[in-house]
Amino acid sequence: MAYVMGIDTGGTFTDGFLADEAGILFAAKSPSTPHDFSLGFLNVVDELAAVVGISTPELLGNTDYIVHGTTSTLNALVTGNVSKVGFMTTQGHADSISIMNVEGRYAGLDAEEIQNMANTSKPPALVPRQLIEEINERIDYKGAEIVCLDEGGVRQATRRLIDKGVEALAVSFLWSFSNPAHEHRVRDIIGEIAPDLYVALSSDVSPRIREFPRSATTIVNTQVAPILRGYLYPLEDELRGRGFDGSLLVMQGSGGCVRAREAPRHAVTTLGSVLTGGLVGCANLGRILNHDNVISTDIGGTTFLVGLLVDGKPVSTNTVVINQYLISSSMVDVHTIGAGGGAIAWLDQGGNLRVGPDSAGAHPGPACYDEGGERPTLTDADLVLGIINPDYFLGGKKPLSVASAKASIKKHIADPLGMSVSDAAAAIYAIQNAQAADLVRKVVVNSGRDPRDFVLYAFGGAGPMHCASYAADLGVIEVLVPLGSTAAVFSAYGLASSDIVLTRERSQPENFPPDPQQLQDIFSDLERELSAYLDEQGLSFTDVTYEREVDVRYTMQLAEVTTPVPAGELDAEKVDSIGQSFEALYAELYGKDAGYRDAGMQLITYRMRVRGRLPIRPELPHAERKPASAQARGSRDVFLDIRRGFERTAIYDYLDLGPGDTLKGPAVVEAPTTTVAIPFGCDARVDELGNLRITYVATVNGSEKEKLA
Amino acid sequence: MTITHVSGSERFNFVQRSPAELLAAASNLAIHTIDERAIEAVDPLTFEVIRHRLAAITEDMGDALKRMSGSVVVTDCNDFSAAIADETGDLVLVGVYNTQLAASLDMAIKWTLEHRCERPGIKPGDMFLCNDPWVGGGLHQNDVSLFAPLFHDGKLFAWTGAVCHQVDLGGVSPGSWSVSGRDVFWESTPVPPVKIIEGGELRPDIEDMYLRRSRVPKLIALDLRAKLGANNVAQERLDQLIGKYGPDTVKAVMKRMMADAEKRLRAKLSSLPNGTWGAVAHQDGARAGDDGIYKIVLQMSKQGDSLTFDFTGTDKQVEGFINCTFAGLRGGIMPIVLTMLCNDIPWVPGGIYRCLNIISEQGTINNCTFPAGVGKASVASAWATQNAVSETIASMLVTHPQHCRGAMSVCEGTWDLTVLAGVDQRGGPFVTMLCDSMSGGLGARTDRDGVDTGGQSCIPMGRIADVEINEFSFPMLYLWRREEVDSGGPGRFRGGLGASSCFIPHDSPAGRVHLVVSSPGKALPLAHGLCGGYPANNSYDVLVRATDVHQQFAAGRIPRNLQDIVGQHDELPSHAETDLDPGDVYYTHWQGGGGYGDPLLRDPHEVVHDIHRQRVSAHAADMIYGVVCDADGTLDDAATQTRRNQLREVRAGDRKAG
Repeated sequence: MAYVMGIDTGGTFTDGFLADEAGILFAAKSPSTPHDFSLGFLNVVDELAAVVGISTPELLGNTDYIVHGTTSTLNALVTGNVSKVGFMTTQGHADSISIMNVEGRYAGLDAEEIQNMANTSKPPALVPRQLIEEINERIDYKGAEIVCLDEGGVRQATRRLIDKGVEALAVSFLWSFSNPAHEHRVRDIIGEIAPDLYVALSSDVSPRIREFPRSATTIVNTQVAPILRGYLYPLEDELRGRGFDGSLLVMQGSGGCVRAREAPRHAVTTLGSVLTGGLVGCANLGRILNHDNVISTDIGGTTFLVGLLVDGKPVSTNTVVINQYLISSSMVDVHTIGAGGGAIAWLDQGGNLRVGPDSAGAHPGPACYDEGGERPTLTDADLVLGIINPDYFLGGKKPLSVASAKASIKKHIADPLGMSVSDAAAAIYAIQNAQAADLVRKVVVNSGRDPRDFVLYAFGGAGPMHCASYAADLGVIEVLVPLGSTAAVFSAYGLASSDIVLTRERSQPENFPPDPQQLQDIFSDLERELSAYLDEQGLSFTDVTYEREVDVRYTMQLAEVTTPVPAGELDAEKVDSIGQSFEALYAELYGKDAGYRDAGMQLITYRMRVRGRLPIRPELPHAERKPASAQARGSRDVFLDIRRGFERTAIYDYLDLGPGDTLKGPAVVEAPTTTVAIPFGCDARVDELGNLRITYVATVNGSEKEKLA
Repeated sequence: MTITHVSGSERFNFVQRSPAELLAAASNLAIHTIDERAIEAVDPLTFEVIRHRLAAITEDMGDALKRMSGSVVVTDCNDFSAAIADETGDLVLVGVYNTQLAASLDMAIKWTLEHRCERPGIKPGDMFLCNDPWVGGGLHQNDVSLFAPLFHDGKLFAWTGAVCHQVDLGGVSPGSWSVSGRDVFWESTPVPPVKIIEGGELRPDIEDMYLRRSRVPKLIALDLRAKLGANNVAQERLDQLIGKYGPDTVKAVMKRMMADAEKRLRAKLSSLPNGTWGAVAHQDGARAGDDGIYKIVLQMSKQGDSLTFDFTGTDKQVEGFINCTFAGLRGGIMPIVLTMLCNDIPWVPGGIYRCLNIISEQGTINNCTFPAGVGKASVASAWATQNAVSETIASMLVTHPQHCRGAMSVCEGTWDLTVLAGVDQRGGPFVTMLCDSMSGGLGARTDRDGVDTGGQSCIPMGRIADVEINEFSFPMLYLWRREEVDSGGPGRFRGGLGASSCFIPHDSPAGRVHLVVSSPGKALPLAHGLCGGYPANNSYDVLVRATDVHQQFAAGRIPRNLQDIVGQHDELPSHAETDLDPGDVYYTHWQGGGGYGDPLLRDPHEVVHDIHRQRVSAHAADMIYGVVCDADGTLDDAATQTRRNQLREVRAGDRKAG
């Protein structure tokens, strides 16, 4: 029996997912072990073996590959536990990474934090000044050499940095993406002096115009690469020792994985590793259900995560902000706000009710946990409103105190505002839904799409309690709560069903239309590099596909729009179609007539991606049919709609439901891992895979939908 | 030649009008209003949801503007603003972009209501363009606003507006910064509100009239479309919001937001001691060739829950281009009120203005009359006003144990302007304002140093373009761009460092590149310290002619500082216009932020740390901080104590420094 495995290391739990070639699925969970995440990884492998009923060596010996979502690199950056890196850059530009284009003072902060200007600061320096060396060399905007490389200076600088104890070196020269000769030579020189030192070149890691993000990305890559290597290599060795002879793969932020041995070379691509599994899971579920356009929403304990699938593919970004630094890396675009189940409700100085972004976290947790949490949270409001069953939270593993929840809401919200406790809880519920809807709308609209073309998936502990309400506000087609066999480990399922994806890019600004041959040459080079890199993965694929794209802008404008490039040998006609696609995309994003053709167009960055499909793709099994149609277990008063207040609501146990069962809102479905709220005006149906599908009854002119908001 | 009054220009001057007066003036328009009870009746839940939506819409406007604009000034430097106003033009919300620009959009809308209702009329689908600094909507002619009435059910419901800095709108000098100008007729002609979009259609005749004046009409056309797009986004989203919650509820939330901001600001003011704080801000040079010094005098009084800014004693308007109108005066007040005083209060100018009184005499340099030159207003007298306001508000805030956390010493004392123009490396004409000096130092805080190259007060999200973007866009090549040692004002907490750029013209087919330079603060420091902190550096701009830079390149060397460059070194005056020839080098060093508290009280270890990080020189450590290090760079405690006592004696007049 051959297996594939997905292991997702989260902040609280490490999730494991296993599929065999016959399509039987297994899931397991184990606490994460932050002092050494590999322990949690190995524990969950043991758990999976136990669930299957075989020994760990037997399981590992038959596992073809394991896909791993890791926090290793992100965690290293956030905690500052990174390697000591030396940095070489062009003479006169050492301060680029401390000036940070000014933007570093506020990047990644929200509007309220930015307006409190005296409280904003830049993050600590990426590299201390004494570990930065300026080198005499200069390339200009055309890629022409203006000043030759001072090789003697490079040798001296290398020795000085090594004497200061650096563990790795990052090199980023101006215009190196256009002409990398100087950087290449520096790598050779360092290699002569210190053959084992890890060296990263900006022309390799992030060959893109704009020196500040390119340098920052190269440095961050250099800081985390040794850490990632120090985590993955021993882990792989340990797995080998336990009988594993398949491939260990690591998920990248791009939504595809790479072989663990290769990952440290481009360590920066793994920063989004752990955020990505859920969206890949949505992509696979969407493929099975024929949902091309999906909004993925995940409400965990502290955060609310939103990602998009358009035409079956995750929407990506090419720049992310970490610790206020701009990092250039192709990543699935996952947006977050601090609005998870533990989000604290509070009153600002003007007496306005707010929810989040501060969270009560797992400790002390919401007031209803009775573990010392004083302040009211979203979970407390959901409990007071009757949505959560105090005796069946996490399948009954965690009893909750309604009295503590009420007392906390009364003291902090209801009394100061002169409201009843239940009205205050309703207000918390409604504000959470409004801000969730606002974030989702912003993500969808900023990608140039209309929420009404999407199905919304909701997972994570708190997502299903709110999704029908915040989705109504958006006008989506349907809401889906994955509740089948993968529900508890949805992200790990996503990992196990992913592909190998590798990306290469290069900046070379050109006016449009470029010479087709020149363009073809760029892509041929990129394809050659990618093909060699794919071979190095040492895996067999059932299918290999290449995609190519280019970032285009109107001349004078600085915002580029990523535009697909058609397959095949490029000729004038195909080049022309790139221009047309760009203009169509631009109009979609910014409105008709917003573009200004007279300004002309420019191609800036060329990018190519290869996707290798792995042989085993876990199929989701159909849910077990139940003999009788849905019967409610009972009923209680629940508040789901501000226009209707508390009303008698049927309560269902998910384990009683089978495919084809249909429920009418208002209703609440209690599942072992979550609770699904179905407000008045909604129908919910269990599908063949056991998912709950929520639709809005009256969608003729939107008037019914409005009432649900 | 003195500035001669122009008869007929009075009607463009600002006159304070109440909403009732404006409704009366616009009596031929159906206008949506609500009464006080409806405002009270909004429940907290609906208020929060709609308030949140209005903030999201303002952000969407900014995003649209930024992504569509063609100016580096807008796309990379965030020099723009977007706002929503109620039916009579009071601003409901401004985004965290250029807060100067947001300070006067209400003036332009109110003027339009008063003067454009009859003919050409204000109708659905119309948008008005304005760059008349007397009318408002911007501080100088380069600030062009586009604002649009929003109608619901045939009634004027609200206004949306977008404004950004345009790179060139004509006038004697490229970039419209006419450094030799003596009055407004040397500059870009102001355009009072004109209906450029009529019933949803862009009027080509008006657009042509507008673009004709510019050296870069295509770029200006692109930005006009960006502003059009931003207004469209806002109007569409507001329509949806009104459709969902009803016009009365949305309006009630708008009014309540103003009341809420007013209430919160008044509460904060009440918690501060009553008193009067004074400041004087200077500018050296009103135009090229002028070496006068001009002052803005401010007495700020706080009584109860309101603030009065009294500018009595300020110099008369001058021949030159540094004056500002009343819009500029407000643009000097608002950024500081927002960032320091309203750091934890929503940015709702309509409510905030109700707590402020302004006393100023017309005909002074920060409340000038037509036709005084205002081409540099935003970064001249408006900025100087801002420096004075910054000092008085910060001085008031430091009296309070919590509110002091909003205070900073003066941030980057002035805008060191560099405009380049000529033929770019692709053979096309270009004009650009180099925004590098947006990386000024922020003033020190009451508990921490100021942020090095942290920006400036008026644009909380200011940013600069990467060197590669500038070199790709314009015919220039940088020798360096770096933070400058000792440019932060010394203090117990040090002001943030300013920085410098040094570059040569590169690859222009024309060879030479035109250069316009303008920066006061060369004769005296402008970024003052707070509570005994010292000011930041002076601006320092140097042009080196006929240098050996290309020979050094050929020899494999990049000069590391000005001393490395052989040539004729000219320190530039405040205002200058010239050409850069291929062998010339231009160096511009802008200002840092002021310090806080006595530098002799600074933790000596912090000073040593600053020396190691090249923030403070050993010389300044000795002369100003009284900190002495060993040969190996470690702190000498005893020598430091002795040196500090010696410096205190010097202050007391007992001995000479040395």
